[in-house]
Amino acid sequence: MSGDEHVFTELIRDYVAECLPHAEQVTDTFVELERCWSEGIPADELLPGLKGTLHTLKGNSAMMGFAPLQALAHALEDVCARCTSDPGSRTPEAADLLVEGGSLLIDLIRDAAATPPAPEATADFVARVGRLLEAPAAVEPDRRETDRRETDRREGDRRRDDRRGSAGSGDAGSAVRIDFRLLDTMLEIFGESMIDHAALHDAHRRLLHRLGTCPELGDLDRTLVSLDSTMKRFENALMRTRMLPVSTVFGRFTRLVRDVARSEGKRVRLVATGGETLLDKTVLDRLGEPLVHLLTNAIVHGIEPEADRVAAGKPAEASLVLRAAPISDRVVITVSDNGRGLDVARIQAKAEALGLAPAGGDAEQLSNLIFRSGFSTTDQVSTLAGRGVGLDVVAQSIRELGGTIEIRSVPGKGVTFVLGLPLTLAIMKSLIVEVDRERYAVPLSHVVETARVDPAAIHDINRHGVTIWRGHPVAVTDGGVLLGSPSAGEHARSFYLVITSGGRRRVILVDRLIGYQDVVVKGLDPALGRPDVVSGAAILGDGRVACILDPVRILDQRSAA
Amino acid sequence: MTAPHAYLVVDDSPLHHQMYKLIFGRGSLQGSTVYHATNGREGYALFMAHPELTLVLLDLNMPEMNGLEFLERRRADKLHLDVPVVLVTTEGTPDDEARGRAAGAWDYLRKPFQPADVERLAQRVLAASA
Repeated sequence: MSGDEHVFTELIRDYVAECLPHAEQVTDTFVELERCWSEGIPADELLPGLKGTLHTLKGNSAMMGFAPLQALAHALEDVCARCTSDPGSRTPEAADLLVEGGSLLIDLIRDAAATPPAPEATADFVARVGRLLEAPAAVEPDRRETDRRETDRREGDRRRDDRRGSAGSGDAGSAVRIDFRLLDTMLEIFGESMIDHAALHDAHRRLLHRLGTCPELGDLDRTLVSLDSTMKRFENALMRTRMLPVSTVFGRFTRLVRDVARSEGKRVRLVATGGETLLDKTVLDRLGEPLVHLLTNAIVHGIEPEADRVAAGKPAEASLVLRAAPISDRVVITVSDNGRGLDVARIQAKAEALGLAPAGGDAEQLSNLIFRSGFSTTDQVSTLAGRGVGLDVVAQSIRELGGTIEIRSVPGKGVTFVLGLPLTLAIMKSLIVEVDRERYAVPLSHVVETARVDPAAIHDINRHGVTIWRGHPVAVTDGGVLLGSPSAGEHARSFYLVITSGGRRRVILVDRLIGYQDVVVKGLDPALGRPDVVSGAAILGDGRVACILDPVRILDQRSAA
Repeated sequence: MTAPHAYLVVDDSPLHHQMYKLIFGRGSLQGSTVYHATNGREGYALFMAHPELTLVLLDLNMPEMNGLEFLERRRADKLHLDVPVVLVTTEGTPDDEARGRAAGAWDYLRKPFQPADVERLAQRVLAASA
């Protein structure tokens, strides 16, 4: 061959994009096979589908010159072929080997662009497959239980099919693949047109003020109204291009749940629904990790050991349900286990020790304490859920996404985490405010009230401004102090807004309320340095740049007058 | 410099389309026109529209219309029977090959292939039609 070995290197990204979903799909099926075989269900119908996919993986890997991956796919094919022809070889060991091989396949393909797979990465596995296949065929297992389980099995199939079907993005024939950076560029250009759009409205308002009503302005009026609606539709269409089904994230969890459950010696079944629900890619990218923590937590802490479950009259196999559904302009994701529920007595004791116990023993308020930093009731550090990452970190990352997190617990029945997420992080509904002549955008999702300041209502207690808002004492922070503006404190502010997140509130004093605006969020160059409480920047209708305030970080700060 | 040649590649794998783009964009095949289709039905529509094709590379396993169905339909429609169609397969069984030839496949190309394999194939087609 004439130096063709590396001719395809520039295709590695295409290779990964095409093969990774295949590898994830076969590994999901391996996990399913493992479950079926451990219950004595032959699962004949799952095997033929694997053959074609493994074959494609083998061919594509060979084409790229990835011999170790080719060998790995081939070895997995061999195991599947043996299991197809000889039901006696459908043993837990074979299933275990398949899942392990599938995981290896995923890892190697994912890293292929950075590190082309080395022969030793798969040699050991391929050798073990060789030894397994050399072993004499096993005796047909006892299948007395098969019929009884067949009903469950069909149910499982149906669910899996639902998930598969929903994962597709409609008519594959009309789909194109686009570099996400191009979508970002389009969004930026759209943001610029939003600025011109706002400027047009501004000019129109000034004209109207100077000229009064006249026929020519009527034409301009109508054109502006039509432009408003076109811009809105364009925004919706543009946002739609950035959306991916949540199944792209959910799909990664089958293997995770299996691995964690196994290392904990528990049996857990993961069921996912609503995988077709769409979310902006930027939100999805940051959702994986918090969900991994919630699922891991549920298996390690929420789900009881098998013996305890049986003693409590529950099925030995626990279930973990992941659901997603769109609700108006948000997406709700829930993670539910059917384990023991929160240990309310222990949380109460800890809350009392820390002086955090809510008055009147409000169960929900008490439950939500577990999201607070440093609040953990588990004394022993588990190898999995431990790692110093607690629910406070999960809550923090969800709130940084502009989302909400709540917990519902029923003792003995299980725990459900409810996540509310914005559809996108790219365009944000904001309240524009002015502090010391600078404008700032505040995410509207965190603003609960705005009004004119009544100085008499602000009391100076312990040098911190405090006011009573809806019957609760709430700390008051001066906007200028918050943002470190030089002339802070030189004059009284005229307006306030109340921001909230995770049950915490803060009153912020500002000079003016400018209005509501949808802004395209831009990141800030870290080199510029910025106050902690600013999360990004936006360009306003008049071309000015406004910093976007981060309500979560503001609430994290100790109140200062 | 020979006259520019036109090729049609029909495959459901985006990776393979990228590969064909590379292969037809370099070496002896540089300057070729390549039409891409991601399933048999789309491929058949392009095939109808381009009687000038030098060669069709047709994947065997595809959704919508597979390679064999493509060939059978071509034969029934008596459409551009002089254009050579090469079936691209991963480990096709002898049975597949026989059925493909019976349906009018000019030759076979086995996946995985290297650029040189496609170049040689194109040369053979051009030599045969010369």
